[in-house]
Amino acid sequence: MIPPDARRDLTATELEDYVGRLAARPELWAGRVSHDPAARVFEELVRDEHLAVWLICWMEDHDTGFHDHDLSQGAVAVVHGAVHEDRLRFDGSRRRRTLRRGETFSFAAADIHRVLHAGEGPAVTLHAYSPPLWRMGAYEVRRDGTLARHSLSYAEELRPLEAA
Amino acid sequence: MSRIDVHQHFWPQDFVELLARRARPPLLLRDGDGWCVRLDGEPDAPLPPAAHHPVLRAEALAHDRVDVALLCMSSPLGVEALPAEEARPLLDSWHDGVRALDGRFGHWGAVALDGAVPADVDAVLDAGALGLSLPAGALSSPGRLERAGPLLEALERRDAPLLVHPGPGLEDRLPGAAPALGLPQWWPALAAYPAQLQAAWLAFAATGRRGHRRLRVVFAALAGCAPLHAERMAARGGPARAVGDPLTFYDTSSYGPRAVDAMVRVSGVDVLVHGSDRPVSGAPADHGLGRAAGAALFRVNPARLLGGVTVRPERRLEAVA
Repeated sequence: MIPPDARRDLTATELEDYVGRLAARPELWAGRVSHDPAARVFEELVRDEHLAVWLICWMEDHDTGFHDHDLSQGAVAVVHGAVHEDRLRFDGSRRRRTLRRGETFSFAAADIHRVLHAGEGPAVTLHAYSPPLWRMGAYEVRRDGTLARHSLSYAEELRPLEAA
Repeated sequence: MSRIDVHQHFWPQDFVELLARRARPPLLLRDGDGWCVRLDGEPDAPLPPAAHHPVLRAEALAHDRVDVALLCMSSPLGVEALPAEEARPLLDSWHDGVRALDGRFGHWGAVALDGAVPADVDAVLDAGALGLSLPAGALSSPGRLERAGPLLEALERRDAPLLVHPGPGLEDRLPGAAPALGLPQWWPALAAYPAQLQAAWLAFAATGRRGHRRLRVVFAALAGCAPLHAERMAARGGPARAVGDPLTFYDTSSYGPRAVDAMVRVSGVDVLVHGSDRPVSGAPADHGLGRAAGAALFRVNPARLLGGVTVRPERRLEAVA
């Protein structure tokens, strides 16, 4: 169990446990769900010195692009629909897993991944970051195969960066 | 949604003339085509003649790509802290002058601290102010905050926001102090104002929020970066969670991308608002944090500060146990 007043940052395992338990309490977030075909809808549910929690609503074609979380580890629980998580490999191939309602996953600050809507119908996910997300790296895979990292404030909505 | 600058200053012509007629600080002295500002305990400061020209200031809005600018009393002058009979004519003149500007300028009301009562707050709001500004010195300890409590309650009752700006409170007046000689012009803005704002922010964190749960408050100049001391505050047993208060905002005046980004790290982007402090300093076109953060600082967050538009009614979920 996570102490509600943890006076420290949480580990990826603790974050995954947290979002799993939050997923089981829809009365705490279901009223914030809304969908927009143009872009993912973000709702910040919790923010304190050590933890930030978002509800994210997905529709078809919504895609974060490849990114990292700089200094924050994180965890995701899928509470409606499904999303893919892709990991970027150096040889250009992608490792994909599909996560459905009731499933959770976590990632370290250094991991580079991409999350995108999967399947039919809207999806809803819960995301927890510790320490609260501050900056991110968004990755661009250029046509010649080289990789570029763009430093972003967490306030910037992640989008796929097109090949130049 | 308008692009808003929550923090500018403007000295109407009549206000300038009243200051020029004073025999004791705050006062203005002729200095070539412009003026020199003399305050107790600060180095004399030149006032460029164009700084408070209404046409030039309106033109500056377009240059800054701002639709609305909110003007506030230059509280470091110490006008609010003067004896009431000296403060009131100056404040009346200032309010008359800023109300006469075109509709792209709104204003924060100001009151004479000497004998201030809640009806004074109602009067400035009734006359068109969007909120009230108070000098940080009026709020810079739990005791001072308690004395200002009835004014803050009046704001809460009217659902109007508070701007905390550097400047002396009643207890800080230094009548008769010699002008500070040998200090560089920038000295007060670095050595005094951030400390005043930090003390006011700490007092509000210690007791102010508990007594005024619905009050929306914005601290000028990132509250002197007080929230960046959150870890030290926690280590000493202080209420470090104040950095996550969704109703306490910070304007960016005179700070750049590094300090603003440091605040984003501690307080999140949702409580930062664009404030330029014109004409004291120039206005950045953006804060170097990207388009989404720019929209937050110029549009979304000021609207929430000023209008009480509740974007996130419940920021903190009950503990998931």
